[in-house]
Amino acid sequence: MTLRPGSLTFLIIAITAFGAPGLPYAQPAPKQVFVYIDSVMAADTNEGTDPRLSPLDKKLRGLFGFSTYSLIGHNEGQTDCGKMIAFMLPGGKILHVQPRAIDDDMIAMEIVLFDGTRPMMTTDLKLKNNGTLIVGGPRYEQGMMIISIGASTSGTSPMQAQATPPPEANNH
Amino acid sequence: MAECGEISMMLGAFEDSELEPNEMQEVAFHLARCESCTSILADYSTLGRDLRSIAAEPALAGFSSAVIARVDRLPQPVLTRIERFIRRQLDSVSVGSGIAWGGAVAAAAVVTIILMTPYAQQFANRATPPTVIAKADANAAPAANQVATANEPTMADNDSHADISRLESENHSVAVWSEPRRDTTVIWLPDQP
Repeated sequence: MTLRPGSLTFLIIAITAFGAPGLPYAQPAPKQVFVYIDSVMAADTNEGTDPRLSPLDKKLRGLFGFSTYSLIGHNEGQTDCGKMIAFMLPGGKILHVQPRAIDDDMIAMEIVLFDGTRPMMTTDLKLKNNGTLIVGGPRYEQGMMIISIGASTSGTSPMQAQATPPPEANNH
Repeated sequence: MAECGEISMMLGAFEDSELEPNEMQEVAFHLARCESCTSILADYSTLGRDLRSIAAEPALAGFSSAVIARVDRLPQPVLTRIERFIRRQLDSVSVGSGIAWGGAVAAAAVVTIILMTPYAQQFANRATPPTVIAKADANAAPAANQVATANEPTMADNDSHADISRLESENHSVAVWSEPRRDTTVIWLPDQP
């Protein structure tokens, strides 16, 4: 069988056509993403901000008008890009976070919030590395629940390093 | 019966057979009885023959091939060029070598699929569970004397703008907003009554 230049080009085109769709997946190793969840109860009971939430205090007061912010749970975990990680939150809520890709300083992910088995919200978004997304609104005890979802590629959580251990928040 | 004036206006078209059938019939009936119009029609016929005899017909030899060659020289769309290229390649491949080439391409495709697609990663990661269940970290928070001041840069203070490309919820009251100063994105899902 003789190999003519035209035939060689044809073979290259065929290989490229088959291989091109797989190129984005040809990463040598999946990148890890660290996910940090803070569950906060917000209410108008004039009790101020939980000291464990001091790093979030300014942000919470800037976003919402509640007089009480209390940390009711903290979860964290790490997962590979493409793998979903599930968090059990207070109030029977379940949060699924699936990082999809890391592009520059942005982390693309899918987030699904369940109330028990019922999906409440599904969203695809890009979050800045070390940034947080706030999801809130569900009623919780005498107030509302606010969920701070942070993602990082470095594995160090400032919230973890700076928060105070809550005596009543354990085992949430 | 039509007058000669009307018929004479139709004689040119009659000569060229361009009239409607009923008009052709009417002119023909008239000509059978009218020598004047028959004479005029004869003049038309003579004139037509003379004109056709002196008009030089252009030489059309090679016209078709010249047009095709010129069309080929026009810029072709990329897909058309690729299609022609592949067609030429397929035409040049004989049956025996075609089987060999087909096998080579199929083998290349299989190798590519194995090495460069998610199937490879799935195969490599078969031992690891697809889902990680995170545990609540009750002891993750350190001592009280490590509480940071609000001025220190923290995750909570970072620019946290999120680019949301999809948001689905059965809750029709779902709202999304960003706090301009800190550029924090909020998704608000109020409980529905």
